[in-house]
Amino acid sequence: MQLKSVLGLVLATTLAVPALAQERGGTLNFARYDGSRLIDPIYADRNPDIWMVGSLFDTLLRGSADGNSVEPGLAEAFSVSEDGKTVSLTLREGVLFADGAPMTGDDIVFSLDRARNPDLSPWAGLLGSIDTVSADGNAITIALKDPDPTILSMLATFNTAIVSKAAFETAAGETDQDKSAAIFASTSAGVGSGPFYLCGFEQGSSMDFCANENYWRNGADGKPLPYLEAVHFEIIPDDATRILSLQAGEVDAAEFIPFSRVAELEADSNINMQLYPSTRIIYSPINTRDTRADGSPNPLADARVRQALNYATNKDALIGVVLHGAGQPMSSPLMAKATQFSTDLSPLYAFDMEKAKALVTEAGLEQGTEVTLTTLAGSADDSTIFAALQQMWAPLGIELVVEQVDGATRGAKNRSGEFDIHTYGWVNDVNDPSQVVGWLGYTPTAKAVGTGWENAEFNTLFEEAANEMDPEARKVKFAKMQELYANAAPLLFMYETPFAVALRTAVEGYVQTPLGNNIFDEATVSR
Amino acid sequence: MSSLNYIFKRLLMMVPTFFLVMVIIFLLVRMLPGDPAIAMAGDRASDADIQAIRERLGLTEPMLVQFWLFLSNTVQGDLGRSILMRTDVMDVIVDRLPVTVFLTVYSVILSLLIAGPLAFVAALNRGRWPDAVIRTIFQIGLSMPVFYIGLVLLTFLAAQLRLFPVGGYGDTFSEKLYHLFLPSVTVALYTSAIIMRNLRSAIIEVLDAEYVQFARAKGLPSRLILGRHVLRNALISTVTLLGLSIGNLMSGTLVTETVFAVPGMGRLMLEAIFARDYPLIQGLTLTFAVLVSFVFLMTDVFQSRLDPRMRLQ
Amino acid sequence: MSDMTFTNSQPSFFRMALRKPGLVAGLLIIGFSILLAVFPGAFAPYDPNTIDYNAIRQPPSWAHPFGTDLLGRDSLSRVIWAYQVNMQMAVFGTVFALVTGVIIGALVGYYRGIADLIFGRIVDAVITFPFLVLVIAMVAVLGPGLVNMYIAISVVYWVYYARLMRAEVIAQMGNDYAAAGVVMGYSDRRIIFRHLLPNAITPVIVYWMTDMALVILLGSSLGYLGLGAQPPQAEWGVLIAEGRNFISTAWWLSLMPGLAIVLTGLGFSLLGDGLADLLRPRG
Repeated sequence: MQLKSVLGLVLATTLAVPALAQERGGTLNFARYDGSRLIDPIYADRNPDIWMVGSLFDTLLRGSADGNSVEPGLAEAFSVSEDGKTVSLTLREGVLFADGAPMTGDDIVFSLDRARNPDLSPWAGLLGSIDTVSADGNAITIALKDPDPTILSMLATFNTAIVSKAAFETAAGETDQDKSAAIFASTSAGVGSGPFYLCGFEQGSSMDFCANENYWRNGADGKPLPYLEAVHFEIIPDDATRILSLQAGEVDAAEFIPFSRVAELEADSNINMQLYPSTRIIYSPINTRDTRADGSPNPLADARVRQALNYATNKDALIGVVLHGAGQPMSSPLMAKATQFSTDLSPLYAFDMEKAKALVTEAGLEQGTEVTLTTLAGSADDSTIFAALQQMWAPLGIELVVEQVDGATRGAKNRSGEFDIHTYGWVNDVNDPSQVVGWLGYTPTAKAVGTGWENAEFNTLFEEAANEMDPEARKVKFAKMQELYANAAPLLFMYETPFAVALRTAVEGYVQTPLGNNIFDEATVSR
Repeated sequence: MSSLNYIFKRLLMMVPTFFLVMVIIFLLVRMLPGDPAIAMAGDRASDADIQAIRERLGLTEPMLVQFWLFLSNTVQGDLGRSILMRTDVMDVIVDRLPVTVFLTVYSVILSLLIAGPLAFVAALNRGRWPDAVIRTIFQIGLSMPVFYIGLVLLTFLAAQLRLFPVGGYGDTFSEKLYHLFLPSVTVALYTSAIIMRNLRSAIIEVLDAEYVQFARAKGLPSRLILGRHVLRNALISTVTLLGLSIGNLMSGTLVTETVFAVPGMGRLMLEAIFARDYPLIQGLTLTFAVLVSFVFLMTDVFQSRLDPRMRLQ
Repeated sequence: MSDMTFTNSQPSFFRMALRKPGLVAGLLIIGFSILLAVFPGAFAPYDPNTIDYNAIRQPPSWAHPFGTDLLGRDSLSRVIWAYQVNMQMAVFGTVFALVTGVIIGALVGYYRGIADLIFGRIVDAVITFPFLVLVIAMVAVLGPGLVNMYIAISVVYWVYYARLMRAEVIAQMGNDYAAAGVVMGYSDRRIIFRHLLPNAITPVIVYWMTDMALVILLGSSLGYLGLGAQPPQAEWGVLIAEGRNFISTAWWLSLMPGLAIVLTGLGFSLLGDGLADLLRPRG
């Protein structure tokens, strides 16, 4: 409910915009939980980097407002050939980089070649279908090895954003990595064509974006974007301090507000508490291998036990204590509701203790079976989740114990399979379900998010969907995968959460997209 | 022995100490579960990617080779490249060190300003109510976790009363004094309690000493006695204590810097550990060790100057 | 204490102790803390882990004098049960360091020579090493939890005891009775453990009292980082950390465990100061 009304509010304010003349200029002060380290389309691999790429760089195509299609970006026109193997794009006339240099087809070829080079980009796999990229004047041609239904979405994704070839050619350094780091460190205007350019950076402390006066897009009022003169970012890792900074008026916005504080900030008349709809899902992978890492038999290998855990988990209660109501149970086992092709299977494992007990009895689970939940040390949410699950699963005869580790250890355990269940989360990077489904279920990608789950039918469906150009047929395949996955329950399906950002009421037009991207293009701040 | 000779000998003795520190940190970081390649490439990277990064970072070399590289590069002043920051560790440290040193020195000065006068009041009123009140208040400061005190100060003094800024650390010297006041007070609450205790008993000891009793009996004005004997002794013991606790003090900045969003070495260390940034952890640890050893040495030299009974040995 | 009382008569240790209000208060506080730590169930009004989704973050009331926490658990009961963990921390976090440090310090102080030289380098290395880094890294290697935390703390802390002990032993060696022992032809063992140690241990005991308070504080910091006590075990640092987002809205969550830390710290400190006063050699 809450989420819907917030969404309504966002839409209402967006629609109201054209009538008003936008206030221009000024600096927006934004408090972040973690700093960017290197904002480069291909080297951005952490969310604080990825989510800022769009402010400094442009992509050929842009995601539509509803997230289900693409619209022109740097390319003013685009088409896919009949056989699905050629994408033709026309580069917009007169696009300039932030330093005033013109963008040409060479920059496009350079950027895309860089993005799909597996030696450079960790995201190259997403562009595996591309055979060649060529440019003739403003005409860009992308030839594919196989038809790829995701290619247009990929051209609207951060990793295919366009960088200046000249900037890389003149930058100091031996390798592409060195050059990229040198360009970033120089905080110069010449590398991107996004609404802002990086004009200040202090590692781990602060960062500044300045308006790109050559930006090609116009706002709803017909005037060139962006409205702001600059955005100043302060890194304040501590949740409580970040909020205090906002309350003291030192910053205009603070992101990643703990859900426990949302109600309090909503009540504050100076603060506009926003819950942006997201593709973030919170789940816990369950080890499905026959034996545990120490060689002992794994009670969770039995799908019935995993189903029982899901039935015995009261999602509403969890959402109450962890999210303070700001969230909803997962409705699809593989993705957030906002993702394309998401099937609504809700209620997905609605709380049912009798069914859960029957399932563990059927599976012959021993009373007093010890199961370890690996959580993130120092995370208040994870401690709460553990305490709640321990109580919820006790009636099944499961003795839940906790193991608190840091992120790096959890990652290593996920990789090696040395866990029973661990907390985890996901936000889509790409506006297409294939990425998250590959991650959670397709065995070759990451052993089905480390669970070791392997289902031949699922894997075949996934491979077929990768070349399926008919959206309807593709949708059917994704529906079937979601059904298979729900039954096998390799995860503890938990909930979806919005992005909680608190803004001073003086701030308008700021948006965080469902993929997490921070969009300052149309933001204004009145002083 | 001349003090130059002494200093040279002490510096020589630091060599095995630093070697030991390097061995410990080198082994310790490599025993941590997970490795920089995983932390760097993220959970989503494939095993082949991880292996490639491992090779690029030189983590596939035998341990001894890795240690030799670490050792020989360090001797040449090269601490390697930070995996997390993608720049030279030396640059990062040069960037962050002044912040932490500023915070530490600032809090030591504040501690002395708070603890000094109150220790005299407590000692001179030994056993009476001012003594009890002062000691109890300091004890409370000593017993409160830094992360809690820091937050309480921020909530009331910064966010509500707006007396101090919540975040940032300023550009000019006076701005820094203003911005870092609360974090320094937070650290100082703890340090001043320790100094106060020590100072109080040092003063009492001197007051009880025969030569002071004798001076009093001779009718020397108490101000003179305080100045001549008590101050000097108090100073010696305080400097010794501060020197010894410099390590703890700087360790304490780890949490303080996180709570107050101060971009210093402590917070960086925490980030480096979480990211398994081996070169950065190693570099920071070594910097820390050099700094602490330097302070120890200064303390000893200072002590010997002040107190002729202390022979350098 | 004035010198007068000391020289006039030699009353029994206990009667002297009773004349010191600080020491008495310290004894009472620590005594009561131990009582709570040993029999938390007898004092806590509720089970500390019972979750009540309908009573979340309630302010203090007659039913819940310290209010309830994020999961509707009774905060008073959690603070009381935390005595068990935190007092255990105070003891096990220090006692291994104390014993090891005292023995090594005494031996090194007595024999000096090459052992002293090596000892000096080890001490330097440990003291110049960033302490929290060592503890955090060791806990990450061994896995979080109280036992591993004790190991990590002990690995560092023994050095402080050993240094103190060494200095005391060297000072005591200058005294007549040690020289007498050597003249009498007593064995080294007898001289160290029967003569030097009992005389040199007073400052160590006093330091131990302060150290216990510090270890509780350290354990709390580690709990805050998720490296100390493991949930659902209640521990003051963890309880404070849980309440830190609610300092202005649900202040009781962090204040009450904070007071418990302060009170216990005060107890140990009073005890330490009192003992120091009582045992301080005169003349």
